[in-house]
Amino acid sequence: MRSFLLRRLGQAVVTLFGVATLIFFLQRLTGDPTYLLVPETATPADIEAMRRTLGFDRPLIVQYLSFLADLARFDLGRSVVQNVPVSTIIASRVPYTLMLAGGALLVACGIGIPVGIALALWRENPVSRALAGLVLAAQSMPTFWSGILMIMVFAVTLRWLPPSSTGGVEHLIMPSIALGLLSMATFARITRTALLDELSKDYVRTARARGASRRWILVRHLARNAAIPVITVAALEISNLLAGAVIVETVFAWPGLGQVTVQSILARDFLVVQGVVLLGAFVTIGLNVLADILYSIVDPRIRLDGVAR
Amino acid sequence: MKSARLFIAGVALGALSAFAIGPAQAGRDRLVVDLVNEPSSLDPHVQWNPDSYYVYRNIFDNLLTRDDAGNIAPQIATSWKQLSDTEIEFTIRDDVTFHDGRKLTPEDVVYSVTRITDPKFGSPQLGQFNKITGAQASGPNTVKLTTDGPYPALLAQLVKLSIVPKHVVEAVGKDAFNQKPVGSGPYLFEGWQRGVQVALKRNDAYWGPKGKFPAAIFRAVPDAATRVANLQAGSSDLGVSLDSDQAAQLKSSSRAKPLAVLTERVAYLRLNPSKPPFDNADVRRAVAYAVDKEGLIEGVLGGYDKAVPIMLTPVHVGWVEGVKAPAYDPAKAKALVAKAGAAAKAEIELATAPVFDQRVVQAVQQMLTDVGLNVKIAMSDMASYLKRAQSGPETVPSLSFGRWSCACQDADGVIFPLLHKSSGWSAYRNTKADELLEAARATLDESKRIAAYKQVHEIVADEVPLVPLYQSAIIYGAANALQWKPTPNESMFLNRMDWKD
Repeated sequence: MRSFLLRRLGQAVVTLFGVATLIFFLQRLTGDPTYLLVPETATPADIEAMRRTLGFDRPLIVQYLSFLADLARFDLGRSVVQNVPVSTIIASRVPYTLMLAGGALLVACGIGIPVGIALALWRENPVSRALAGLVLAAQSMPTFWSGILMIMVFAVTLRWLPPSSTGGVEHLIMPSIALGLLSMATFARITRTALLDELSKDYVRTARARGASRRWILVRHLARNAAIPVITVAALEISNLLAGAVIVETVFAWPGLGQVTVQSILARDFLVVQGVVLLGAFVTIGLNVLADILYSIVDPRIRLDGVAR
Repeated sequence: MKSARLFIAGVALGALSAFAIGPAQAGRDRLVVDLVNEPSSLDPHVQWNPDSYYVYRNIFDNLLTRDDAGNIAPQIATSWKQLSDTEIEFTIRDDVTFHDGRKLTPEDVVYSVTRITDPKFGSPQLGQFNKITGAQASGPNTVKLTTDGPYPALLAQLVKLSIVPKHVVEAVGKDAFNQKPVGSGPYLFEGWQRGVQVALKRNDAYWGPKGKFPAAIFRAVPDAATRVANLQAGSSDLGVSLDSDQAAQLKSSSRAKPLAVLTERVAYLRLNPSKPPFDNADVRRAVAYAVDKEGLIEGVLGGYDKAVPIMLTPVHVGWVEGVKAPAYDPAKAKALVAKAGAAAKAEIELATAPVFDQRVVQAVQQMLTDVGLNVKIAMSDMASYLKRAQSGPETVPSLSFGRWSCACQDADGVIFPLLHKSSGWSAYRNTKADELLEAARATLDESKRIAAYKQVHEIVADEVPLVPLYQSAIIYGAANALQWKPTPNESMFLNRMDWKD
C-alpha cells in the first residue's frame, strides 16, 4: 500500500510539472494581455510601459523559471487584471464550484442510477423504455437552452425560484439540475451495462439455484460488483462537472471556477488560468488515486501493490 | 456505498457555506445593478474597463465631471483658469470630506495626479494623463497643473481623474486600498464578495446631491439573456449591455423597460492603404460607396444607432456639419471597382473579434461582395485582434471593423490615434493630415482646432483611409420605476437616479 502511494505520488508530481510547463508556454503563444488592459488611445510607448510593469517584457525563459520558483513555494502569483493573488481568486470560487458539482452529482446519481437499475431489471417494460427516452432527451438538451428555459418558466413566469446568482439553497436548484442532466444519462447507461454483465454471470445463476431471493442477490452480490464501473465513471464525471460547468455558471451567473477560467482566458490573465489548470490537474489526479483506493475497499481482491495475496 | 457517503458529505459542506450568504433581492431600499463581469479593481487608478468604473465612480469624486447634457462641469474643482498655454489652475472645493472623515485637500489632488502619471506605478490610464508634467498645490485651495505643451483635451481627460485620499493610500498601500477603497463620493464601499457582488452604502454626509437609494449592489451576470430574465423577474433594477432583440423582449415586459442612449463610440471600417487592393484609392472609395449604413442600422441593429458621415459623433469636440462624404451608391461603387480592373480582385481580409456584432460584419462583407470585391472574414480573439491592429502598415489587416471610444469626447482622442503616423493604429500616411492633426493638438483655440479637423474630415472623405459607419447606441434594461437618463460617456452615477412615484 505504501509503495503504491509513493509511486503514485511521484507520478503525480511529474504530471503536474508537465501540465505547468505546457500551460505556461501554450498561453504565451496566444498573445499578450497588455492590449486588453489599456484604453484604445494608449500609444505604443504606453503599452510598452505597461508591459514592463507586468513583467511581460522579460525573456520567456526568465518568466518560466520565476513561475516555477514561485510554484515551488506554492505561490501562484497575482492576477494582472484583478490585482489580487491568484490564490484569493481561486479560493473565493472553489466553494461555489463544489456546491454546484455536488448538487449536479446528486441529481445525476439520484436519477441516473435508479433509472439504470430499472433499465437492467425490467428491460421489456414500457415504463423503463419511456424513462430511457426521457434520460436521453435530458442529456441532448444544450445547457444554454435548458438553463434559460428553466429560468423563464420557474423564475420569470411561476416565480418559484430566483432566476440567477447565489444566496440560499433555492439558488442552487436550477443550476444543479441543468448541470446534472448532462451526466445523468452516463450514470444510467453504465449502471445498466454493469448490472446486465453481472446478471449473466455464473454466481448469480448459482445463487438463484440455491433459492436466494432476487432482492437478496441484488443487494448482497450485484450491487458491490456493479459498483466498480460506476465508481470509475463517478470519478471521471466529477472532474467533468468541475471543469464543464462553464455554460451553466454563465447562464445562472454562478461564480464558480469555470466562469472565472473563461473570463481569464479571454482577458489573457495568464496566472489565473495557470492556477486553475494546475488545480484541475491536481484534482483529477487525486480523484483517480481515490478511485483506485475505493476499488480495493469495494472489492478486496484488487490489491493496490499488485502483489497477489 | 462509501462513494455515496463521500458525495453527500461534500454537498452538505457546500450547502453550509451557501447559507452564509444573504440573497440579493431588488427593492426600494436597495438598487440592484447587473453588470457583465465583476469590477476588476476598485482602485480607480489601476484599471480601465466599464464594469470597474460603473462602480468606483460612485465611491470617488472626479476633479471634473460632465452634466447630463454632456458639458464639462465642476466637481472637486469649482473653477479653473488657464494661466498660460501650459499652465492651468483649479480652485478646489473646501467642503469635501473623505469617507473616513478627513478633509479633502489640494494635496490629495496633487497626489492623485502624480500617482496616476508615475510611469513606475504602471496605470493603464497613463496615456490619458501623461501630458501632465507637473502638479502642485499653489495656494490653500488651488492646484496648478503643468502640461508638456498646449493640451486642448486636458479638461476632457480630467473628467476621469478620480481623487484618492493621500493619507489612506500611503498608510495601507496599493493592495489594501484596492480591496477596501476610501473615496469622497456619494456612496461608500461596504463589501466585496469576490465573483458575486460589490455592496455600496449611501454617504449621508456627501457634499453634493445625495443618492436616493440607501444601498446599492453591483452583481456579475455574464449572460445577457439572464440579465433580461432578472429584470423580468424583478430581481434586478438595472442591467447593462443588451442588444436590440433583448430590448424588444423588455418592451413587452410589465416590469422593465429598455433605456437606450447614443454614446461617443463610433463604429468604423479601417482600410490599409499600403496593401492591395486598397493601395488603389478608387477601390477604397468603392468601399465607402458600397456600405449602406442606414441598412445596417435598420436591418441589423434595430434602429437604435445613428449613421455618421465623419469619424466622430455629435457629442465630440471637432464634430462638424456639412462635410461632403460618400453616400450609399452601389452603382458608383461597382463602376469604381470595374475601373480598377483585376487589381480590385485581390483578397481582402476583414478582421473582427467576438466582442463586435458579427451580424454587422457579415452584412458589410455581403455589401462589399455585391459590388465585386473579394472579402474574407478573419475572426480572432480580442487580444490578438488588438495586437495586430496596432502593429503598423505592413501587418495591419487590409480591412478591419472596430468601434472607437476615447472616453474623452474630443477629436484628438479619435482621429489622431487612427490617422497620425506616430500611432500604432495608423496604416495611413499623409503629411498634410498629420500636420493638421498636430496643429489641432497644439492650440487651445477651439475655432482653429475645428477648422483643422474639418480639413482632416474632408481628407478622410476623399482618400478613405477610414469609413465611418455609425454612432453606437448602448441599451440598458431598467425596472419600470427607475428614473435615469443614461449619458454618452457610459457612466452610471447612482446619485443621478431616482424612483418614479
